[in-house]
Parts: sequence; C-alpha cells; structure tokens
Amino acid sequence: MEDPGACRLYTGTSGYSYGEWIDSGFYPDGTHSSNMLDCYIKVFQAVELNYTWYQMPKAPAMERMCEKVPEHFKFSAKLTRTLTHEIQKNLWQKEVLAFRHGMEPLIRAGKLLCILIQLPPYFERSADFRHYLAALLDELSGLPLAVEFRHDSWVNDKVFSELERRRITLVNVDEPDLPGLFPRLCAVTNPDLFYIRFHGRNAGGWRSGSMQKQFDYDYADQELKEWAERVKTELMLEAAAGGIFFNNHVRGQAPKNALRLMDLLLKKDGGKTPWNAPSFI
Amino acid sequence: MERAVIHLNIADFAVAVETNRSPSLRGRPLIIAPQGSPRAVVYDMSDQAYQEGIRKGMPLTLANRLNRNIPILAPGFNRYEQAMKGLLKESFAFTPLVEYGSSDGHLFLDVTSSGRLFGPSADVAFRLKKTFKSAFNLDPIWSVATSKLVAKVATRLVKPLGEYIVAPGDEEAFLAPLPLHLIPGLTTADLNRLREFNLFSVSEARRLTLEQLKIPFLQKAPLIYDWIRGMDPSPVRAFSETASTLSADHEFSDDTNHAGILRKTLYLMIEQICKRLREKNLHSSGTKLILSYSDGLQSASTAKLSPSTSNDTALFKKCALLLDKAWTRRVRIRHMRLICEKLCPPMVQADLFSPETKETKQAALIRAMDRIRNRFGHAAVQTGLTLTGDTTSS
Repeated sequence: MEDPGACRLYTGTSGYSYGEWIDSGFYPDGTHSSNMLDCYIKVFQAVELNYTWYQMPKAPAMERMCEKVPEHFKFSAKLTRTLTHEIQKNLWQKEVLAFRHGMEPLIRAGKLLCILIQLPPYFERSADFRHYLAALLDELSGLPLAVEFRHDSWVNDKVFSELERRRITLVNVDEPDLPGLFPRLCAVTNPDLFYIRFHGRNAGGWRSGSMQKQFDYDYADQELKEWAERVKTELMLEAAAGGIFFNNHVRGQAPKNALRLMDLLLKKDGGKTPWNAPSFI
Repeated sequence: MERAVIHLNIADFAVAVETNRSPSLRGRPLIIAPQGSPRAVVYDMSDQAYQEGIRKGMPLTLANRLNRNIPILAPGFNRYEQAMKGLLKESFAFTPLVEYGSSDGHLFLDVTSSGRLFGPSADVAFRLKKTFKSAFNLDPIWSVATSKLVAKVATRLVKPLGEYIVAPGDEEAFLAPLPLHLIPGLTTADLNRLREFNLFSVSEARRLTLEQLKIPFLQKAPLIYDWIRGMDPSPVRAFSETASTLSADHEFSDDTNHAGILRKTLYLMIEQICKRLREKNLHSSGTKLILSYSDGLQSASTAKLSPSTSNDTALFKKCALLLDKAWTRRVRIRHMRLICEKLCPPMVQADLFSPETKETKQAALIRAMDRIRNRFGHAAVQTGLTLTGDTTSS
C-alpha cells in the first residue's frame, strides 16, 4: 500500500465516560453520563472500551451500545483481565468462549475494530508466557487482534515475525521512557490494521498505582507533530486501516490531544482545535 | 451527571470470616448457627451447604435432619463487626460516602465526586476488591451503577463471585429480563401479589400503569413503579468515621431470654460506656440498643437523653425502658449492643451553693466508685444488680 489516502483512520480515546471531561469543556455542561456517547460520536470515529477489561462483556449490553452509534463507528474492546492479568490455568479457555459470546453483537454489526490484548508489565518473554500467549491467540483466532506489550523483552524480530505470520497487530505505544517498558516503536505487523496507544509520558506518575497520576499528561504540539509525520510517512503506507487512541484521560487531555493529532494529520497546523471540529478522515 | 455507586458484597459474610479463622473448613459445607438452643435457626451457611438444601432462617433441627455431617459453628458477631470495621477503613480511603449493613458484608460507596482524585468508578471498585482480598482474605462481588438499587440487583445477579458494571442509561434495559424477586424492596407478600397477576419478570410488571399498580399496592405503588424502572434516588447515607459515638457489645455464651441476665448485662455495658464518657468529660444525648436474636434477626430501639448524661443510674433508667421496647420476640438473645451517640460536653454550669439532691448524691457515689475502681480494679465495688446471675461472655 503506497497511498496514505487509502488508509482509513479511526481516532478516539480509551473510554469516553469521564465526569471530568465536562469540566475540561469536551462535554457540554450538565451532560449526563448516559448522553456522553451521543456527544462523543459527533467528534470521534472509534472508542476503546475499557470496561471489558474489568468485566466479561455481556452480549445484550453490547447490542444496545451498537444501536447508539452510527454505521461507520468502530469499537476496540480490551480483552478481559481474567485472560491477561488474572489467568486461571484450567478456566481461561472457558473465559475466551464467554468473551467471544459477549463480542458477538459487535462482530455481527461490523463494528469491531479489534480486540485489544493488553498484557501486564510482568508478562515477560518467558517460556510459560510465550506458550500461553500462543495458545490465547489460537483460541481467539478469527477475530481481529492487537497485542500491547508492557515489557521490553518482547522487542524481538521473532515476535514481530510471528505476529506478521498470524496477521496480528502490534500496538505501538507512547509511554514514558522508563527501564523495562516497551519502547516507542513504529511497526506494522498486520497489513489490515496498525494501532497506536498514547498513554502519556508522565514518568513520575507511571508506577504510582493511581490512574489519575499515571495517565496525567498533556502532549506538546511538537510531540504530536512528530507522531503525525511518522503516521503519514510510515504507518499509513503499510496498512489499510489504523486505530489511534489516547489514554491520557485525566482532565480531558485525551480528547484534546486526539483532536490536535487529527488536525495535524489533515495538515491543519494553525490554531487550536475546537471541540466540535469535524473529525472524519 | 448521574451518580456512580459501587456495591461491594461479600457473599456468605459470616462463613467467609469463620473460614478465615479455620481455613480447613474452606470449600466445605458449613453452617453458622447457635447450638444448644432448642429453637435455634441457621444464621448463615456456605455455598456448599446451600447446595445441600440449607437455608438462612431454617430451624437448625431441620438442617441437621437434611445433613447431620455438616459442621456447625456458633456465630461470632464481634468478629463480624471487627471485619466490617476493617473493610470500612479501606473504603473511606476513596470516599466519605459509605453506607454499610450491620456486619453483613454489604457496602455502598458513592464515588461520584471522587472520580477526579481516584479515577473511574470501575477502577475504584476493582482496587477495593483487590485490597479486601489481600488485606482480609475476603473476596467481594462488586458492581457499579447509578443507584443503590441497580447496583444491588447487579451483585445479586453474579453472586457468589464476579462483577457487573451497569452503564449509565442502561438501567431499564438491564432490569427488563430479570425476575422480580431480584428487585430489592419487594417483599414476599409483594411478589405473591404480583404472581397472582401472572407477573414474574420486570418487563411483565412494567406493563402495568401506575394507576393499575395502585389497586393492589396502594401507597407502595409509586415506589414499585420506580424500582422496576431502575429509579432509586435514595442517597448513599454518609457515615462519619469520627462520629461522636461510644458503644459496648456483649455476646452471650448461651443465648438467653432471662430478663435478669439481660438487665444485669445492660447495666455492666452502661457502666463501661459511662466510665469512658466521664474520662472524656462528655455526656451522651442519645442512645440506641440493638438486640441480635439466635436466628440472626435484630431489633433496635432508640431514645433521646434529655438532659444529656454520663451517669450510670440515669442512663440505666432510660435503657431499661429501651430494652423492654426492643425486646419484642420470644426467641433467645445472642448479642446486645448499646450505643451512646450525640456526645457533647456537659452543658450545665454547677451552682456554687447547690442543694444536695438525689442526682447530686448519685453523682458523688459514682465518682467515689470510679476512684475505688481506678485504684483496686473494677470488681472492687459493684452494684447489687450486677451481682446476680451469670453473664459470661464468649
């Protein structure tokens, strides 16, 4: 793929239901939580569902969610913690079945961008974890998958080759430059989809144990410009679609940065992004 | 913006606390019930005992007939209370708005306003679950919703283990397919009435208009109308950790309905609280007595104290009436709790030349008793009331 224009981008944030986004001005004053998705879909084309990490997705709830969004809108759903962080040896296959069942409405409606497999920092490239990951990917085969590593031991050509062979997306992460963390890369392992997650670069808060500190970061314009350039010149040329999500949700920084990056990708360099900026790329 | 309410529920709380003390009982059928009481009923049971047909409130004799081999442990209300205190302490780290049941492993937290500080409500719930597990080895079910009612239904749905997040705006659709017995507030009589109309699920009951509901349910109809639509504006009642209360507990080693023993115990508890009040130079303006029966049911009674007091005799006069008021059942009493609340400094300035009254004489007597006890121990001097009977505590 050589024409960046042929790549369809889905930009959004990790989660959308944050009360503090009202204070930051992203949602109008008095917005009820139940109306936040209605406001969100006017600005972005995709969202990462965080809550599926906390609880197994339920098909009826997914079905209702599908009905609320326009046809072109996509969901990226985080794989449930019982399959990534709290794996139980003899139970996880059952959990995969339950997860697949919960995802059914999204798949049927063509609204699933991918399943995001976010692995914990202690998930090193050891024999046990390698075997588990391979088995997990087998069990989830047939679904669009993106794998996010949080440990740098996975930076390995063999890993990337295997992901390529399986047509599984490697998540490019933007996170603090701390020892042991997966580095900032710009890699495409799946010609169907590239994926970037912006966690913020708050090195001080990263291991604080508090999400409000860990993801409290406002990307500087220069940082976003560098990413826009890499997306255009590297990632968009190699994949048919791209998912770009901002996880620095604290104080509404995620939607602000996401909109700015979208502007940069559209070459709207001047001025500040209004919240209701047209976003479709 | 809607509220964010977390419900944490430790299933079979009493069993969970007891099996933490005796890990060998974990994963096995277990009944918590008083023994040696002819009318004793099951206070709590493990999931495995539930599978055997044991139910809360079932007569122990019947439970024994169903399965004689299930071990039976006596309830330890003080232990459950201590465990609840630990859970509360962890919960207060996230919000001051914590409502909790009486030693039953249920906690509601309103985290609407603490999101900016601690992050999304689902994350707070998850972190609390992990803390409860690591610090107390208690594994709660948790749910997040916009009201206490919906959050409670959600935990009931996943019991005995799991979690449920009900997205804001999703309440009606979430409740629609559920059976009516999952809705908190609907009594057995209400459910029977609804069954008479062939209404078994929430969606079926929703077909009735408010006017139609009013025919069988009269004043309760508007409440039921709202409940089945997931509407519950009741707040999470704040509990102040530093609330000005003092309390004393007594657990009877043998459940009793002997009036003399109960009055004697009450007096001993009053002595205990009043001594602490006097040490802090405080008076109490209100009091509450909670009785826990053999079958786990409770009854309570409250009274205002006017004028406020820290005098054993004056408080006993009030509390003896409270005991009569709260003691409404023939079932034996297992546990007694006395709470003195609304603590305040003594308001009345003593007169310089006050005449000697009965009250002043009593106060002088109590001061003298305090001095003797401080020097020679509590048993050095006792009132006649406390010399009778046995109140051995367990």
